Amino acid sequence: MHKVLIIDDSEINLTLIRALVIKLGECEPVLFDNPVKALEWCRSNEPDLVIVDYMMPEMDGLRFIAGFRALHGRTEIPVLMITANDQKDVRYEALLGGANDFLTKPIDRIEFSARVRNMLALRTGQKFLADRAAHLANEVAERTREIRDRERELIYRISRAAEFRDPETGAHIQRMAHYSEIIARGLDLDAATCNLILRAAPMHDVGKIGIRDHILLKPGRLTPQEFEIMKQHATLGYELLKDSGSEILQAGAEIALAHHEKYDGSGYPRGLKGSAIPLFGRIVAVADVFDALTSERPYKKAWSLDDAMRFLEDGRGSHFDPLCVEAFLAGWEDVLEVRQRFRDEEVPVI
Amino acid sequence: MSPFVFDKASILERLGGDEEIFVMMVDMFLQDVDRNCQSLREALGDEAAVLQREAHTIKALLATFSDNAGAELAQTLELRAKTGELADAPARVDVLLARVAEVADVLRRLSVG
Repeated sequence: MHKVLIIDDSEINLTLIRALVIKLGECEPVLFDNPVKALEWCRSNEPDLVIVDYMMPEMDGLRFIAGFRALHGRTEIPVLMITANDQKDVRYEALLGGANDFLTKPIDRIEFSARVRNMLALRTGQKFLADRAAHLANEVAERTREIRDRERELIYRISRAAEFRDPETGAHIQRMAHYSEIIARGLDLDAATCNLILRAAPMHDVGKIGIRDHILLKPGRLTPQEFEIMKQHATLGYELLKDSGSEILQAGAEIALAHHEKYDGSGYPRGLKGSAIPLFGRIVAVADVFDALTSERPYKKAWSLDDAMRFLEDGRGSHFDPLCVEAFLAGWEDVLEVRQRFRDEEVPVI
Repeated sequence: MSPFVFDKASILERLGGDEEIFVMMVDMFLQDVDRNCQSLREALGDEAAVLQREAHTIKALLATFSDNAGAELAQTLELRAKTGELADAPARVDVLLARVAEVADVLRRLSVG
């Protein structure tokens, strides 16, 4: 049903136009004998076609069209202006002012029907395109979401692959990723960045894929030479992930490379100091160490929460960025909730 | 000026041969004619723009019933009001009102008969 707005101060014309519009079928006429009121109506209603007389008291057709076109979302709606044959100057002005076509007085049904049908066909086309554009935008958003979900899933699975070769568990990567997010939030990073670190942190140890089993899985203490080889997992992870087009993988590369750096410069592989260490690296260092301490391993018992907390506090400024430790401790309630949610025996998907 | 000749064929042609709309138009005309004439008469004492608009309305009414001669009278009055040539306006209004009355008479007889 097309909504056809008709504005004419003469009642006989309103009646005639209304009758003609109804005869066209599929049209619902809306009548106004006052253009000011019609314009007011247009603020909250969207006609499919406007038929407006030129000569009216209070507001002529040209001023109505100007007012109508100035309303939000009303620039494309077709407007037909009714003029007498002799008003050529008015017609030119109306064309410049946004009228799409004209109807001449006295109204001729054949001409009227053809022009109104043309305008309604134009409107139908506009609506179709708009619907199609909206539909496509939705479709793209949906597909993008699917791709992003798949990206997250793949990252999780890649991260698990590294953990499979390690005494650490799937729950570890979930917990440390959520701890990292808690710290990011505590540092007042924006929501997108907090989400980014949550998605990227699981990849911190992905470079362990490249460490030989006799070193990676050695139950006893590593010799200094073996430890040097073990340290390569940071760079290996970075090499694996760097130069990706994915923002998450890029962040993962940075985290893999920087998560063993220490605040006082005594970490590896680059021995960076303080704020020279990428922020994500500083954040993940706290999250990763805390979870390692509080988890049981074949070669060690789990530390108590108090001991682990003290370790973080003692490491402020030496091992850890003090602000990251502070943010972590400030989010203690959330930390406990994450521990509760991701236990070692069961691994819910992110 | 030649008397008003009611040319139903031409009117109907413009209305796409629709009797129903035709009858509706005649009814509307007769219903509003007194008020329209009154407005035109009163416009003489008002601004030129008002006279111009009322002449314009009458022009549309007469044109609807294919009264080309009458519509021309109204148009001349409308244009003169627009350019401010008002000296002979009362006389022109009288002629126009007489013409409208004539057309109304014809239509009234038609609608009664």
